[in-house]
Amino acid sequence: MPWRDRTGAFSPFKAVVFAALFLPALLLAEAAWTATLGPKPWQAATHDSGTWAIRLLLLSLAITPARQILRQARIAELRRMIGVACFAYVMLHLVIYAGDLAFDWLKVASEILRRIYLTIGFVALLGLAALAATSTDGAVQRLGGPGWRRLHRLAYPIAALALVHFTLQSKADVTEPMLMAGLFAWLMGYRLVAPQGGAPSLPVLLALAVAAAAATAGIEFAWYALATGINPWRVLEANLDVTFGLRPALWVGIAGLGAAALRALPRRRTARRPAEA
Amino acid sequence: MPILIRRGWEIPEARVTPEHLVFGRRKAMLAGAGLLAAPAMASAQEAAPLRAMRNTRYVPGRDITGEREATTFNNYYEFGSDKGISRPAQRLPQRPWTVKVEGMVETPREFGIEDLLRTMPLEERVYRLRCVEAWSMVVPWTGFPISALLEVVKPLASARYVVFETAAIPAVMPGLRQSWYPWPYIEGCTVAEAANDLSFLVVGAYGKLLPPQNGGPIRFHQPWKYGFKAGKSIVRITLTDRRPVSFWEQIQASEYGFWANVNPEVAHPRWSQASERVLGTNARIPTQLFNGYGEFVAGLYTGLQNERLWA
Ligand code: HEM
Repeated sequence: MPWRDRTGAFSPFKAVVFAALFLPALLLAEAAWTATLGPKPWQAATHDSGTWAIRLLLLSLAITPARQILRQARIAELRRMIGVACFAYVMLHLVIYAGDLAFDWLKVASEILRRIYLTIGFVALLGLAALAATSTDGAVQRLGGPGWRRLHRLAYPIAALALVHFTLQSKADVTEPMLMAGLFAWLMGYRLVAPQGGAPSLPVLLALAVAAAAATAGIEFAWYALATGINPWRVLEANLDVTFGLRPALWVGIAGLGAAALRALPRRRTARRPAEA
Repeated sequence: MPILIRRGWEIPEARVTPEHLVFGRRKAMLAGAGLLAAPAMASAQEAAPLRAMRNTRYVPGRDITGEREATTFNNYYEFGSDKGISRPAQRLPQRPWTVKVEGMVETPREFGIEDLLRTMPLEERVYRLRCVEAWSMVVPWTGFPISALLEVVKPLASARYVVFETAAIPAVMPGLRQSWYPWPYIEGCTVAEAANDLSFLVVGAYGKLLPPQNGGPIRFHQPWKYGFKAGKSIVRITLTDRRPVSFWEQIQASEYGFWANVNPEVAHPRWSQASERVLGTNARIPTQLFNGYGEFVAGLYTGLQNERLWA
């Protein structure tokens, strides 16, 4: 049960997070009920559910870094429910999209086959389904630790596909998907530089923050250069102009520096759970 | 024997929204004159009434979209890239406003918006607007055919295209700070298309002055084309012999072409154009060729089969 810890005891920490995972869906349902989703409610709901799916996917990938940087082993207990919740939001996303097409599933299928961004989203959905299906205690046991971990490394390419889907569905403004792609770059970079079982040192995390920000600017540059008629150099330059709000690269840099700052927090002397492995 | 063929978009009279806004031409002119006398308008949200006789030649065939929906769900990248820009758009000053008409014309001129309201043959037309994003609405515009304006400036025989330029005022348009977009917003059509009676310069909606988020004080609309072809808040109209490359065409030529006539059978690269969501309703209806205006405009395209007419 998602509200119990490994020993089977009730865990308020897990219970609160579990309840919170329902919140976006409840707010969406409320907005639908009160007709405040705007004049195109189905599409608005498609966007909302998709946005939450990608957020939860990245959040599930942020669990290990958060656990290691904050030195809070309990955080790891959240990963499964966040991952499964991500899948639930993706399914909701698909059902709402089908609703937008008046639940004409044949049409849904043909659109998925014909539009490359939907095909990509569908492959990501299948991957998430496989991960969700192997998230029960029984499945973990059957696969064995190493096998399970190998399978669940699929989360990385799935996230990459989901980000491509997110980017392709945008019109001209790819600010949001680029922000997400940048955070994903940080999460992947973290895995490259983290030593076995622990967080990287402060200088490494600082370097990672800068590298992830640069990668974000680079991905954005490449996108505008390859996929649009917009001058990518103007986009790159705009990273220095903060009058329209911060560009994705800057947000990613700030998030990376935040992670480094957390790492620099003094280690708490009184470990509450000395026995924790 | 007369055979009555009901065209796709025609519907029984009873479904058409009652004409609550039908007034005489003279009243339209009075309203326009009243504007002139009125002190600076306090808020565009409280737009002044602008009444004109409804043109019954163009029947929408669908219910008119609610004013709230049509005035709060707007694409206007100068104010931001989501649809909820109606509030920031209120900062766009609507007066004084002038439209330069220049280029290949006999008498280039700058028109004050009040002059246009006073001198142009205002009428109300209920048009379907089909957005390239597969949604649509039906709006009672008030305005005048652009041909009436072109008659005043007299295009030269060498002019082949009409180019519309949208205002670009950094102080009130935060979107302009996204400096990588090819501002100002440019759109255009051929002189032949502009000469079509459907090509409409819009100065009002719902019996009032056109609100800024919808392109006030003056915008263009050719209802057989996708909505992005309709430039908003126009400050300059240029006649030229060179085909313009529009704002969206510069950004994404594969998705937004020059002609951009509505065609349900030609999909956008990312979605089908076969059907459309009707704004503010739960309906998804089939999209029609030329957005249902084929009988008026199809002739414009004979001999142009080699052009990419549809997207
Ligand atoms: C069969 C699978 C999927 C289908 C049919 C689908 C369909 C769609 C559609 C129709 C849109 C909106 C496009 C538009 O408005 O033009 C969209 C947007 C989006 N989808 Fe999906 N999707 C699928 C899978 C996924 C997956 C697996 C994820 C992430 C884990 C995801 C995340 C998103 C996001 C983040 C957006 C953009 C939301 C926004 O801009 O606010 N989708 N999807």
